[in-house]
Amino acid sequence: MRPHIPPTARPRLRALAAVAVASTLLAVSACGGDSGGNSGGSADGKITLRFTWWGGDTRTKMTQQAIEAYQKDHPNVTIKGEFGEWSGYWDKLATTVAANDAPDIIQMDEKYLREYADRGALLDLKKAEGLDTGKFEEDTLKAGEFDGGLYGLNAGINSFAIVANPAIFKAAGVAMPDDTTWTWDDYTRIAAELSTKLAGKGWGTGAPGTNEAALNLWARQHGESLWTQDGKLGVSAGQVTAFYQQVLKLRDAKAIPSAEFVSQDMNAALDQSAMATGKLAMSWMWSNQLNAMSKAAGKELKLLRVPSVEGKADANGSYYKGSMFWSISSRSKHEKEAAEFVNFLANNTTAGNILLAERGVPPNTEIRSAITPKLQPADAASAKFIQDIGKELGDPSPAPPVGGGQVEKIIQRYTTEVLFGRQTPDKAAQGFIDEVNGELK
Amino acid sequence: MTTETMRGTVAARSTAGIGWTRIRPLVIHLALAAAALVMLYPVIWMVVSSLRPGNEIFREPSILVRDLHIENYRVGWNALTEPFTRYLLNSAAVVFGSVLGNLVSCSMAAYAFARLEFTGKKLWFAIMLLSIMLPIHVVIVPQYILFSQAGWINTFLPLVVPKLLATDAFFVFLMVQFIRGIPRELDEAARIDGCGRGGIFLRVILPLMVPALATTTIFTFIWTWNDFFSQLIYLTDPKMYTVPVALRAFVDATAESSWGSMFAMSVVSLLPIFLAFLLGQRFLIKGIATTGIK
Amino acid sequence: MSALGELGSLRGKKPAGQLPDRGGGAGKVYKKDNLAAYLFLAPWLLGLFLITIGPMLASLYLSFTDYNLIQAPQWIGLENFTRMLSDERLHNSLRVTFTYVFVSVPLQLAVALLLAVVLDRGVRGMAFYRSVFYLPSLLGSSVAIAILWRQVFGTEGLLNQVLALVGIDGKGWISDPSTALGTLVVLNVWTFGSPMVIFLAGLRQIPTMYYEAAAVDGAGVLGRFFRITLPLLTPIIFFNLVLQIIHAFQSFTQAFVVSGGTGGPSDSTMFFTLYLYDRGFGNFDMGYASAMAWFLLVIIGAFTAANFFASKYWVFYDD
Repeated sequence: MRPHIPPTARPRLRALAAVAVASTLLAVSACGGDSGGNSGGSADGKITLRFTWWGGDTRTKMTQQAIEAYQKDHPNVTIKGEFGEWSGYWDKLATTVAANDAPDIIQMDEKYLREYADRGALLDLKKAEGLDTGKFEEDTLKAGEFDGGLYGLNAGINSFAIVANPAIFKAAGVAMPDDTTWTWDDYTRIAAELSTKLAGKGWGTGAPGTNEAALNLWARQHGESLWTQDGKLGVSAGQVTAFYQQVLKLRDAKAIPSAEFVSQDMNAALDQSAMATGKLAMSWMWSNQLNAMSKAAGKELKLLRVPSVEGKADANGSYYKGSMFWSISSRSKHEKEAAEFVNFLANNTTAGNILLAERGVPPNTEIRSAITPKLQPADAASAKFIQDIGKELGDPSPAPPVGGGQVEKIIQRYTTEVLFGRQTPDKAAQGFIDEVNGELK
Repeated sequence: MTTETMRGTVAARSTAGIGWTRIRPLVIHLALAAAALVMLYPVIWMVVSSLRPGNEIFREPSILVRDLHIENYRVGWNALTEPFTRYLLNSAAVVFGSVLGNLVSCSMAAYAFARLEFTGKKLWFAIMLLSIMLPIHVVIVPQYILFSQAGWINTFLPLVVPKLLATDAFFVFLMVQFIRGIPRELDEAARIDGCGRGGIFLRVILPLMVPALATTTIFTFIWTWNDFFSQLIYLTDPKMYTVPVALRAFVDATAESSWGSMFAMSVVSLLPIFLAFLLGQRFLIKGIATTGIK
Repeated sequence: MSALGELGSLRGKKPAGQLPDRGGGAGKVYKKDNLAAYLFLAPWLLGLFLITIGPMLASLYLSFTDYNLIQAPQWIGLENFTRMLSDERLHNSLRVTFTYVFVSVPLQLAVALLLAVVLDRGVRGMAFYRSVFYLPSLLGSSVAIAILWRQVFGTEGLLNQVLALVGIDGKGWISDPSTALGTLVVLNVWTFGSPMVIFLAGLRQIPTMYYEAAAVDGAGVLGRFFRITLPLLTPIIFFNLVLQIIHAFQSFTQAFVVSGGTGGPSDSTMFFTLYLYDRGFGNFDMGYASAMAWFLLVIIGAFTAANFFASKYWVFYDD
């Protein structure tokens, strides 16, 4: 649609700036035609695809190798990889999408999936030619699926879990818990015992509530869910209050470090975090971070199932999350070729052998079994963990709705307020609910 | 030369004793050295970290290194899709264009604002100041659209052309302030000698504002070298990436990061700007005091 | 007239106009010179109209729309602006920003001026110190800053280790909402290199004859500073003040990097621009972000105008 020219603009000034303003406004209004950038094809049938991802240099190297392997088999396709770090990645993606200049293949996160998909920026992969999801574990597709379309293809399975440092347990003389039967009370008691035995040199556990996943698990254990399938907030103020009361229980039992410490740890880089520096015996973490965390800690770490209300692992609310997704821009000029490349990344053994489990455990079961022997010990352990909990999972957890990507920052803020004693659990819970609802559109 | 406007006396007299005069340099040195040490601690920590194996960086509380782990430099240099040399050269190209652009275009605009009388001067000056005040985050999208319509994405043009057109109003303002510190009598003298506006600008103003030009060079160099956001947005092909964009590719907040390589390459990328500062600062002291005009 | 006689009246020189609009130390009136002026201004004007004004007006237009970056903007009139009235996080971000501006700018300028004066003359090896003191500013917005700052102000950081030596229990300076902003002020003061360099350049423009004259008269260090350096440096002090205030209002990177983009803990370092960025790019609400930007522009503009107005009374130009 056409933009209204602001009535406030003074005619003379506007005339002077006509060229610049007109082209800018035209394009902002998204009707400036297809500018397409350099993702075009040329007369000789050669096609260039732009492919963007975030991540460290290890990921960049592996992905680049996969690209080269693909290009060898497809001499008519050139894939330009664009890499970058997390926060800049999203600024750049938003800017390029706004300018109608988005890359063809986009590494997507759950947080922003619906943000882009609901506004028509992403292609429905169900309609894409050349993409096969037959070998995928059924549950793993759900996370990228809504409104009858598939907008993000799971690129690696992840599950929220507790990571434990057996060396610290041993030093403290505390036995490792049985994670298939432990309850929140067990968890609190064991963590408090660890803190006591460590006598200031460390603490039992990091706090839940430094991101939204622990709250989601808590809600799922109590018959609710953070998000609903139709894109609303699904957790009640009562359950958020109960969750924060549990957090305070941990604080009062000295199972978790001081408020300052927890707050500092929230935004610490993985290597600088208390788990990596050996200050914590347990922490909350995504399962695919095990390898990186083990390396950072210099110790062999172990994944544990999260505690539940009644000590039943199959009722602890766990679910498979897409660690990240493959999406295709809806404005790509080469949907078919882009889909074929995504198909290669997801279903081809050659690609699997290059990429391994760097983005999480492959959702394609054939690829998963093919690469398992090649994995580093920690990656193999997280793959096994994912496999083990498979039988205990509940329903898939719906992706956050538009505006839901903000929830992590919001819960961090309220957790800080509660831990510092600046807000009571019920007040923080209400504040949390109101604010999240305010963000949803 | 400005004697006719000056009168009055200076009343204060030095009362410092002779002993103090001897000790004073020593005290100043000690104070400066102590301050320098405190200020440099984080920098030293960074250099030390670049010489440690990646996984020891955060676990080792001491600042002393036992053995030099230069591996980080070798690995970091080749860790991304291009050797680090590439990013250094790209940054150098952008910096060169930016410095040149700012020096020429900003000094011209500043001369007009500081010395010439023209219609609409106040308005233009206010607009110039206004253009510094809008946060980049809301203009970046329209600007990106503008440059992408021009087909300039993934070239250095969106980074350099604005500098050639004096959009860094900060420096225009800086130079205006400096030119206004130069006595007008000098312009007059040159005019009597037959210089036109251009002649005065080239022969009187420019030589006298060397400190301001040096400041502009140093700042443009450093700020462009460090500028992350616009370089990130406009450069898409890794072959075109500049140093700050490449540096962040070592870090992933949620997964494995190569801190050793990151710190090593950070140290490497600090060297050019540190050298630029070392060289540039020598021109800072070539003020009026040393250009023969007293 | 003696050199001494020249000095005392520096303060009494003609007041500077708000803008460099009048010429003439001896009261001469220069005639207009439009052709030459616009030729000198040509590159700047070209840049203004081709590059600066378009995006600025576009953002002004967007501030009256609902614009999510992906779909076309929808005109909603003043809604974004009325929303700002009831947005408590925005009000908080204003409080944080104003506190930061009023504390960090004077501190940073005082430190920069002090160091510039000390390093300007009389100390051997000053080139070395200058470089050393500038080094932190070189780090700029580097990712390393976030790590370094935790290394100093974290619960196990250098500061707490030093405090422990004298028996004081430290705390998590960065993670405690009551001190987090303070660490950013320190970070800003730590990078005082830029204003210091500008001061240094300014000091070099002060003709040495003034100092020689003062020396003849036996003026002490402080006397020279207050009677010569300070008044003659006022255009540069003014410049630094205007720019650092603008800069501090726009302060973004340091808070962004240190807080990991959250403005935390508990919004205690949520600068206005950080919140603006969060709305624009985090929440895809670029219309609202644009409205915020124009509101900020009005605030900064008011401060700058006030600064220029006040400059009539304390800034002395030599022209």
